Amino acid sequence: MLQSYISEMGRSAKSYCEHTARTQPTLSDIVVTLVEMGFNVETLPAYAKRSQRMVITAPPVTNQPVTPKALTAGQNKPHPSYIPSHFPEFPDPHTYIKTPTYREPVSDYQVLREKAASQRRDVERALTRFMAKTGETQSLFKDDVSTFPLIAARPFTVPYLTALLPSELEMQQMEETDSSEQDEQTDTENLPLHMSTDDSGPEKENTSVLQQNTSLSGSRNGEENMIDNPYLRPVKKPKIRRKK
Amino acid sequence: MNRKKGDKGFESPRPYKLTHQVVCINNINFQRKSVVGYVELTIFPTVANLNRIKLNSKQCRIYRVRVNDLEAAFIYNDPTLEVCHHESKQRNLNYFSNAYAAAVSAVDPDAGNGELCIKVPSELWKHVDELKVLKVHINFSLDQPKGGLHFVVPNMEGSMAERGAHVFSCGYQNSTRFWFPCVDSYSELCTWKLEYTVDAAMVAVSNGDLVETVYTHDMRKKTFHYMLTIPTAASNISLAIGPFEILVDPYMHEVTHFCLPQLLPLLKHTTSYLHEVFEFYEEILTCRYPYSCFKTVFIDEAYVEVAAYASMSIFSTNLLHSAMIIDETPLTRRCLAQALAQQFFGCFISRMSWSDEWVLKGISGYIYGLWMKKTFGVNEYRHWIKQELDQIVAYELKTGGVLLHPIFGGGKEKDNPASHLHFSIKHPHTLSWEYYTMFQCKAHLVMRLIENRISMEFMLQVFNKLLSLASTASSQKFQSHMWSQMLVSTSGFLKSISNVSGKDIQPLIKQWVDQSGVVKFYGSFAFNRKRNVLELEIKQDYTSPGTQKYVGPLKVTVQELDGSFNHTLQIEENSLKHDIPCHSKSRRNKKKKIPLMNGEEVDMDLSAMDADSPLLWIRIDPDMSVLRKVEFEQSDFMWQYQLRYERDVVAQEEAILALEKFPTPASRLALTDILEQEQCFYRVRMMACFCLAKIANSMVSTWTGPPAMKSLFTRMFCCKTCPNIVKTNNFMNFQSYFLQKTMPVAMALLRDVHNLCPKEVLMFILDLIKYNDNRKNKFSDNYYRAELIDALANSVTPAVSVNNEVRTLDNLNPDIRLILEEITRFLNMEKLLPSYRHTITVSCLKAIRVLQKNGHVPSDPALFKSYAEYGHFIDVRIAALDAVVDYTKVDRSYEELQWLLTMVQNDPVPYIRHKILDMLTKNPPFTKNMESPLCNEALVDQLWKLMNSGTSHDWRLRCGAVDLYFTLFGLSRPSCLPLPELGLVLNLKEKKAVLNPTIIPESVVNNQEPVNSTNNHGQSVGFQNTFSNSQEEEEIDMDTVHDSQAFIYHHLNMLERPSTPGKEQSSGEVNMHPVSAAPLSVFSKESNSSKHSDHHHHHHHEHKKKKKKHKHKHKHKHKHDSKEKEKDPFAFSNSPASARSIRSPSLSD
Repeated sequence: MLQSYISEMGRSAKSYCEHTARTQPTLSDIVVTLVEMGFNVETLPAYAKRSQRMVITAPPVTNQPVTPKALTAGQNKPHPSYIPSHFPEFPDPHTYIKTPTYREPVSDYQVLREKAASQRRDVERALTRFMAKTGETQSLFKDDVSTFPLIAARPFTVPYLTALLPSELEMQQMEETDSSEQDEQTDTENLPLHMSTDDSGPEKENTSVLQQNTSLSGSRNGEENMIDNPYLRPVKKPKIRRKK
Repeated sequence: MNRKKGDKGFESPRPYKLTHQVVCINNINFQRKSVVGYVELTIFPTVANLNRIKLNSKQCRIYRVRVNDLEAAFIYNDPTLEVCHHESKQRNLNYFSNAYAAAVSAVDPDAGNGELCIKVPSELWKHVDELKVLKVHINFSLDQPKGGLHFVVPNMEGSMAERGAHVFSCGYQNSTRFWFPCVDSYSELCTWKLEYTVDAAMVAVSNGDLVETVYTHDMRKKTFHYMLTIPTAASNISLAIGPFEILVDPYMHEVTHFCLPQLLPLLKHTTSYLHEVFEFYEEILTCRYPYSCFKTVFIDEAYVEVAAYASMSIFSTNLLHSAMIIDETPLTRRCLAQALAQQFFGCFISRMSWSDEWVLKGISGYIYGLWMKKTFGVNEYRHWIKQELDQIVAYELKTGGVLLHPIFGGGKEKDNPASHLHFSIKHPHTLSWEYYTMFQCKAHLVMRLIENRISMEFMLQVFNKLLSLASTASSQKFQSHMWSQMLVSTSGFLKSISNVSGKDIQPLIKQWVDQSGVVKFYGSFAFNRKRNVLELEIKQDYTSPGTQKYVGPLKVTVQELDGSFNHTLQIEENSLKHDIPCHSKSRRNKKKKIPLMNGEEVDMDLSAMDADSPLLWIRIDPDMSVLRKVEFEQSDFMWQYQLRYERDVVAQEEAILALEKFPTPASRLALTDILEQEQCFYRVRMMACFCLAKIANSMVSTWTGPPAMKSLFTRMFCCKTCPNIVKTNNFMNFQSYFLQKTMPVAMALLRDVHNLCPKEVLMFILDLIKYNDNRKNKFSDNYYRAELIDALANSVTPAVSVNNEVRTLDNLNPDIRLILEEITRFLNMEKLLPSYRHTITVSCLKAIRVLQKNGHVPSDPALFKSYAEYGHFIDVRIAALDAVVDYTKVDRSYEELQWLLTMVQNDPVPYIRHKILDMLTKNPPFTKNMESPLCNEALVDQLWKLMNSGTSHDWRLRCGAVDLYFTLFGLSRPSCLPLPELGLVLNLKEKKAVLNPTIIPESVVNNQEPVNSTNNHGQSVGFQNTFSNSQEEEEIDMDTVHDSQAFIYHHLNMLERPSTPGKEQSSGEVNMHPVSAAPLSVFSKESNSSKHSDHHHHHHHEHKKKKKKHKHKHKHKHKHDSKEKEKDPFAFSNSPASARSIRSPSLSD
């Protein structure tokens, strides 16, 4: 009972202190707590000053067992600022020092592919389901609209644009093919494949550079009117005689 | 025959010569879709008394016509608007086709006719008599044109330029009259001045040189001035206006490319190849490109993928592609090359008349073929020739022949060279589109035959001669009589050939050009060991429709142990057997390499051979130098040797086709070997996949090992360490890309003993989809994924249905559930990350239809209908429409059919309208002689209306409607129609005299029916209703012999079709109809026709009285008919009315 009383008191006091946005209870918190618990605080000083109270002596100071020099390894870590100095020192470093180790990387090609595939599938499935849930749907079964939800077909204003232009993802993939090469380096299976993509990388850059060059030269020529193409000529101002 | 005319040079059918034309379009309104402008034609009369000028014009509203600044009266009459007048109750296609051909002739510019007839003001008559120049100035406007000019105006915010709105000219053959008045003939050449005033943000692309672009004075519009100094036919004039992006070809600055906004990167890639095509053609023709500039315009909602006009070509924007796309690249390049070939032959060199069209199509197709050979290699070329040959053979055998050079003599009905067809081949505008496609195909194949005969060198010399003559002529200003050198004619072409080569190709021309039909050979052989002779028997079938007899040389190649030997057999009338001496004795024990045709020597395992015979394989007409179909019998091992060792891809393909009939382990091995051989042509390997699947299915009980192709695929495309996972995609090697795409599709066709797709195969395909990884690929995998979906669809087999339960989710087969899962995911992903040309959506829609058809998913067209709406990409729409068409057929849905037909009338995209009719024709909801609830009077009327007047703005569409009508109802009166009422009466007495007593009850019923208002003959007592127009019912009338009178009247009725008042048919007639229709299939047509005439004679005298009455009416009708045609003497001779009168029994009296 005593224990529960004391712990309830502590808990309450803590609540009060936290209520006032503090972390450490003050005397007044305790007082409020006691009042709350129906204890007459007035009687406390009198009780403290009673004649036959028991005094508990401080525990005797025992000598710290000195660890043999041979066993110490390294310097013990000093206390950080938030630990009061009376706390015991840190144990020897070897007892808590950690060397970061990672799980053996999954290098099994099969597992990797499996993972990549199922991950992509899950993402796609989740995404399409979400899209289907949030938008209009069509269904193959009249009685069931949720198992195979199809995002409703929506006509475009300019249908050929989406159909002909490569999607952003494809463009991105093209770039990724260049940047993220070495993901699966461990995979011997695909090594020759990597080589080929590596080869194609610079090639592609070359071609794009080339294309830029040609387009550059094209526009430059256009400016200089080297290309005498009638569609590049400036539009003429109307002649006066046309005005009448 | 009529080539004599050509020898004299070109004679214009018009009494004047056009030298120059101005077309000025001053206002184009995209919002209202209207055009305002004027044309001015400079003409020189060639006869003194010219008082009427006939021009072509359709759709245009003509405000004012002036001749040399004098107001001129004009008449506008277009008989093609409504072919048969609507009060006519005629519903038989024969009648329509004749009337349509007559209507087209009546305005045919090649016969000097036209819709617009301008009276030369009398003040100018004197002027005309001096043959002085006339300037005809016509102000016109076009409002919401339905054909000829196509407006694309996306429905969104922003100015027209921002929206990407554009307009372009389009049409089938000579269709320029749809957008401005002209002489719409390929044979009337003149120089042109073209002016277009458009919004400042737009570009107008047209023929000839852009001389200048000038702002209007308010600076909000600009005027594009074009000059075309090379004489050109009006039919080759075109226009495209839109906010185009402009790309000057980096290799050839005279060439400019145009595309719609945002597509410039694609345009750059797509056209980067064009200069090579230019170089190729200029080199082989040793002639520079005739025009000073060339423009390509890529537009949306194209009428056809490629349309060639003078110095410019209009392409579908859907041909544009990026560097990531593999499959579209060759297709687009082909289109570019085709367009360019037509610039030389078709645009620059035009034709004299429609019957010379084959020369132009032939030459342009032929030089395009040469380009193919150079670009894609001999294998691809030969494969293409074989494909085209198979197509034309199949079409001719189906329809009865394609005639390249029709000769029309005197308009006699009996001389009609195409009586087997349901349309007239006299005019390009009456041709079925499919026929025209096949016509082009045959034309270039025949050019190839000519090349075989006279050598390519001579062939190119002839082309060069034609071109150089034309270019000399084109530079002659205003000496317009020289310009006819720019027109090619059959006779001129043949003359050039004989001049250049000195060879007589007349028999060849006679066989393939002046005559329709292909040759059908059946070959078999026996080896005579004693004489060491191969006894070859070659039979011909020349009696079935679409075939003809072949007499002449035929090459046969025999591969023997000692080598390959060519023999030329002479095919003659009666010789079927041909003895061919063999060069080698059979000697299978000696190990020696065997020389092949190409000089290569190979080791062969000869154990499969017949020990007694030295023959490895035999080929008939290996060079495809006859338009033929060969069915040749040789043993399976010979086909296998042919497949393995013959180096010609055509031979390999033939062998694969033949091996389907020999499902043996040896065939399997041969096919597998071919599949694995990387040197082998990829198309052959792809074909082998499908053949292997078929063989595996036939051998299902004895098949050992994993499913066909599985281990092969694993070896070629899967990882070494984990064979169940496919390698990440790498499509650098196109051959293996195509094989990788095809193999799963073929594998999915495998079936186990229960006729189901093996689980292992399905799982394999699902794994391919699952592990598909394109991240490291340089190319897009959209086609590959689409084919994987096709593979899934191929694996579907019909659902086992327990007493017709409704398909619900609960009773879904677990395998199908997996398939559906994939399809759903793919289809949904397409919405977020659309693939190129939405190939995946297309495949998904097809797959869903397959699932529906096989009863796994409830059959429902709603999904397809939503995808078929305007606003989806065209490929998607077509796939969806195809599914709806199929649904209409399978579920016999009247509602869907109506929905489709509404779309045919209302869809904004002309190609879709055409395609729906095309798909309905190919996959008809019902056909003639088939009972169907869909076949009813309303539908007949609707379709009739569609072809009669609803499609007058588009030749191709009208012919499509005619094709559909033919497929559904045949040539004669649709059987679902109630029996036509006749304004005829019978004398009961007379009738009784001939009546077969067994029929009396029926006729009594007839007589009891309420007499209609048509009964206007006072003395009539009874009323005969048993007439029918359809031939079949005619037979019944005949054979039941209950009423010969009825027959005669019926016959008369067929010939003259009096319009009958009163639409409603009494129920008695309708009920009667099935009774009479029932026995119709029993009698063949031939026997019927003979009986028919018998009866005719027999009862002739008996009903003279009646007939006289009738004749009277008949004549009256004639007058009425001919009145319409009076304006036009040419048309009259061809009009159905006159044609009928020849056959009419009243004249034979």
